[in-house]
Amino acid sequence: MITCSEFMDEFGDYLESEVSTKVRQQLEDHVAHCRTCQVICDSTRKTLKIVTDSGSFDLPEAALKPIVDRIMAKIRTDQGYSNSF
Amino acid sequence: MAAENLMSYLQEVDLGGTFPPFVSFEEHFGVVPNLFRAQTLLPRVLECEAEFMGAVLFKDSILSRIQKECILLAVGVECQSNYCVALHYQVLRSLGVPVSRLDQIVINYRKAALSTSDAALLDFATKLAMRAPWLSREDIELLRDQGFNDESILEAILVTSLASFLCTLSTGLSPSPDFEPRVIPTSNHTSPPKAAYVGGTGGPYLRAVERSPESFPPFAIFLERFGFIPNLFRAQTLRPDVLEAEVELFGNVLGPKDVLSHMQKECILLVAAATNLNTYCVADHCEMLHIMGLSMEEADQIALDHHEADLSKETKALLDFALKLAGRRFRIRSEDIDELIGHGFTEEHILETVAVTALNNFLNTLQMGLGTTPDVKPRHVYTLKDALPTLAEEYPAEGAQIDPDASLVARVQAGDLEAFEELVIRHSRRVHRTLVGIVGNVQDAQDAFQETFLKAFRYIGSFEGRSTFSTWLLSIASNTALQCLRERKSLESFDDEDYVEEFHPRFVRAWGDNPEQLYSEAERRGLVERAVMMLPSKYRVVLVLRDIEQVSTGEAAAALNLEIPTLKSRLLRARLMLREALAPHFATSAKRMGS
Repeated sequence: MITCSEFMDEFGDYLESEVSTKVRQQLEDHVAHCRTCQVICDSTRKTLKIVTDSGSFDLPEAALKPIVDRIMAKIRTDQGYSNSF
Repeated sequence: MAAENLMSYLQEVDLGGTFPPFVSFEEHFGVVPNLFRAQTLLPRVLECEAEFMGAVLFKDSILSRIQKECILLAVGVECQSNYCVALHYQVLRSLGVPVSRLDQIVINYRKAALSTSDAALLDFATKLAMRAPWLSREDIELLRDQGFNDESILEAILVTSLASFLCTLSTGLSPSPDFEPRVIPTSNHTSPPKAAYVGGTGGPYLRAVERSPESFPPFAIFLERFGFIPNLFRAQTLRPDVLEAEVELFGNVLGPKDVLSHMQKECILLVAAATNLNTYCVADHCEMLHIMGLSMEEADQIALDHHEADLSKETKALLDFALKLAGRRFRIRSEDIDELIGHGFTEEHILETVAVTALNNFLNTLQMGLGTTPDVKPRHVYTLKDALPTLAEEYPAEGAQIDPDASLVARVQAGDLEAFEELVIRHSRRVHRTLVGIVGNVQDAQDAFQETFLKAFRYIGSFEGRSTFSTWLLSIASNTALQCLRERKSLESFDDEDYVEEFHPRFVRAWGDNPEQLYSEAERRGLVERAVMMLPSKYRVVLVLRDIEQVSTGEAAAALNLEIPTLKSRLLRARLMLREALAPHFATSAKRMGS
């Protein structure tokens, strides 16, 4: 049986599904017996789902147009940014 | 370099100073290249190679010798052939091309200030050499747009095929370089994007003229040997002199059976064409083996997997070697040669195997460049699924190279501002998320937002499509945001070695089955944004790219200029810190707090 510290060493790759079948089995055996690692594993997965689905830092639609207009106006007037090939 | 310094895998025989091929090489290269000294065990092969190189490379034609040598150099770089790069670099130098220009071609020919037509020529040649099944009529049209006529495009295809031939020979024979080797960048895959798999039979792309076997001896020879004139040769009639030299080359390499048998040679051609996904050549070689007495099923099996075919273990070892060599992405080592010798093959056998494989790569490249339709109905049409796993990694995944922004980018590069506005609108939300996530506040992010798109506009002329536009833009955005953090000195430790401390979780209460249901969408977003903003910047940056933007590990590492293991360890750390920050809100006994 692997230790908690060994579990944490592989945990990053485990979350990314980048471990071999053998290592996966060892990790799952550990989690089946270790309450702490089981909670960390489960709650980290849930954290990722919450973060990914949160729509964090999205730009509100209404704010977009003025920003884009400002950039395009700058490009059109700014001779310094001539397209260089 | 003196002959005794030769480090080739095979021994050299003294053919005397007046051996005509060597006289010709000395005249046109300034030396007798070690690549040819390494083939002296079979003078008949050298004789026809000299004729053939005379017709394709040395003879005055529409493309200049400098243009042809540039193709050979650029393809050598793509094939990572140290030998070929050193040789053609030196030839170009002796033709008066400045060293600074040559160095730039070796690093990246697109930045070598070549004329647009010469750059187009090298785009075409490198794509044909490295990604032939993705070449299409469009690529031919791009050359025509640059003023190349069918005669000169045929020359470009022939020289590129010659480059494949020479690179394969040098990989198989390992001659020591004749001149000071150059440093070749390892990741210089310059194939243009937005290509779909074509498979090499969408042509013929070029004009040809009718020639009758009665009045044109090479065609009479084909008719006699094969019973038909292959379309591959009918498509080259604009250069009858080259066809004559090709017939000589085939005759001298494939004709004799005093070293390898005809059957062995056809098997080599078959497995090598299959690994190059060349439907046309596989069909023809299967037909040839059938004429030699194999059943069609037996021939199919050799093409599919020669290990399962009814062949001797010696022939299987020979085919393993040829297959490795044909792929060009493998190194041939002296152990590979020793293994063949262990199976009872002589140095002549090995030399002929290398020559037949090189000839195969010449034919496969030529065929895909010309796009000739099959002479016999193919029993199997090769697609990416047939690529060896090791080669499939090198090839673009089906559709992976199609950049949805490619046409807009091309319009911007041609000076169309409206197209740029469209790109800004398409990517603004994504860029904004990345910037806010990295710099940590909306005001600074807005400045970085403008800066990112202004930079993108400024440099879009040099965007080459090596990645998608989206990835390229992401990398500009991350760098702009990191610069912003550095200016605020909140990133002092970003580039430092990571201090690895033991992880000690504080919150180990379990979370419920659907923790997200505890809060409204807006509340969840607020919790996540605050928690992410609290992370130290070097962890926040990787988490934003991977878990909010959902870019791949490799792309994120490239955008942040971090090693993948560093990125991975910071990402795990960031995720665990975020879990700690969110746990008080989401664990089962959590009271609604902080919303």
